[in-house]
Amino acid sequence: MSKTAAPLLAIEQLTAGYGPITAIKGVSLAVTAGQVVSIIGANGAGKTTLLKAVSGMNRATRGRIVFNGREITRLAADRIVSLGLSQVAEGRQIFAHMSVADNIELGAYLFHRQRKRQLIDEGKEAVYTMFPVLAKRAGQIAGTLSGGEQQMLAIARALMARPTLLLLDEPSMGLAPLIVRDIFRTIEQLHAGGTTILLVEQNARAALQVADYAYVLETGRVVLEGPARQLADDPKVKRAYLGIG
Amino acid sequence: MESFTLTQQLLQFMVTGLTIGSIYAMVAIGFNIIYNVTEVLNLAQGEFVMLGGLIMVSLHVALGLPLVAAFAATVATVTVVGMLLDRLAIRPVRQPTVMSLIIATVAASMIFKGLAMLIWGKNPYDLPAFSGREPILLGGLVIQSQYLWVIGFMVLVTVLLALFFNRTILGKAMRACSDNGAAARLVGINTQQMVLLAFAVSAAIGAVAGITLTPIALMDYDRGAMLAIKGFAAAILGGLGSFPGAILGGIILGLIESYGAGLLLSGYKDAYALIVLLLVLFLRPSGILGGMAAARSKRV
Repeated sequence: MSKTAAPLLAIEQLTAGYGPITAIKGVSLAVTAGQVVSIIGANGAGKTTLLKAVSGMNRATRGRIVFNGREITRLAADRIVSLGLSQVAEGRQIFAHMSVADNIELGAYLFHRQRKRQLIDEGKEAVYTMFPVLAKRAGQIAGTLSGGEQQMLAIARALMARPTLLLLDEPSMGLAPLIVRDIFRTIEQLHAGGTTILLVEQNARAALQVADYAYVLETGRVVLEGPARQLADDPKVKRAYLGIG
Repeated sequence: MESFTLTQQLLQFMVTGLTIGSIYAMVAIGFNIIYNVTEVLNLAQGEFVMLGGLIMVSLHVALGLPLVAAFAATVATVTVVGMLLDRLAIRPVRQPTVMSLIIATVAASMIFKGLAMLIWGKNPYDLPAFSGREPILLGGLVIQSQYLWVIGFMVLVTVLLALFFNRTILGKAMRACSDNGAAARLVGINTQQMVLLAFAVSAAIGAVAGITLTPIALMDYDRGAMLAIKGFAAAILGGLGSFPGAILGGIILGLIESYGAGLLLSGYKDAYALIVLLLVLFLRPSGILGGMAAARSKRV
């Protein structure tokens, strides 16, 4: 199969919400392989709903999601992971009562089922190299980690599945500025390593800095999109999201 | 037979209590496995025990299968029954809430009981003890060998479960489901499969309890509900969801029942468990080892 210009992830006219509440209306976006794409927007703009629809945690009511040439709109979440799309959920969602090592082990759950021992061992080595602090705390109960360490664990766990596309939902939420810098450095590292990332962030400045392309979501609709650098210079974005002007 | 001293009697009650407590512990463990993954109390848990006993009687006594083969076949059959319970009564529920699922298990328990009555009738059945009925005399104590089988199987079940939950990826995946159901799905765990597995394992443990119990206490179609209540009381006493708690709760309940029946009023044997259940619910609803906060955080 030739890899033409078709995006790795294509979201077409997606509408989704919770029960009677529609949180996103007719959103379309594309993520090209190898890029970091950011979605910025205020609280309640529908960013998380959008990611949850992609990862299968929340069903879309209308529209299509195509990942790697395959429609995944109605697939179950665990099936979507097996296709190479992993999500780091908002609020980290680690297994708080289990050890750090078990959390990481479970990230490779699918490889365990497929008895791909080598992929698991390689994955462990890679994430422990990337996050040495997790290696140090491998035996610790995950819920006792600091917020930043928990975020690293959540990312490490997602990476264990060797995703083609990584969804990151508010990775900087509730973290101290220094830790936030670490997290974004991690994102840059992953980007450099060739991982495709769809990033949802309230921290627009950092999100635009690491991204190749970005979308601005307002009350459930895409109001602006473009190369990240261009958006960072957009007077409207500057005023509303970067606090300049 | 010579008369027993009080000490001997007290020890005798203890052995009986440990035995019956082991049965309650196994039922309580069954409750916990399903509860941890689904938050549902499977009120048909006692029927697994009943079915284990009666199917064993049919295979071993009526069909003459050797003990080990009949044991394995019985556990396998009840395991399938447990999986069918999930597939036919739990999964098809359209808008599953914990309450509607619990009610589905109540309905299932009635159906199991009715079917058992049709198949086996209303009479209690006996099963030969695994290693004969010759009691073991130990320092003035009279211990039925079957008691040791019951306690031994409880220990075996506990050890196997500990290995399963701590050493195997499937066991860890089940723990992950009870820890954080959404996150479990995000790492690719099929939570419905885990629920099915929980029902299978719970049913298997119930069958073991029923098979080992029958040579001591006989078995009939109507025993499930009371066993479920006792096991539930044990699970609550120990702390719902906690495995060490289930064992502790089961043993304590067995001892209370044994001493209560032996020293106080034997007619109230079944009431002791209910009194304990009520006291725990009034005084310490989280049980001995349970943390209510931990229990509340479980969502699938």
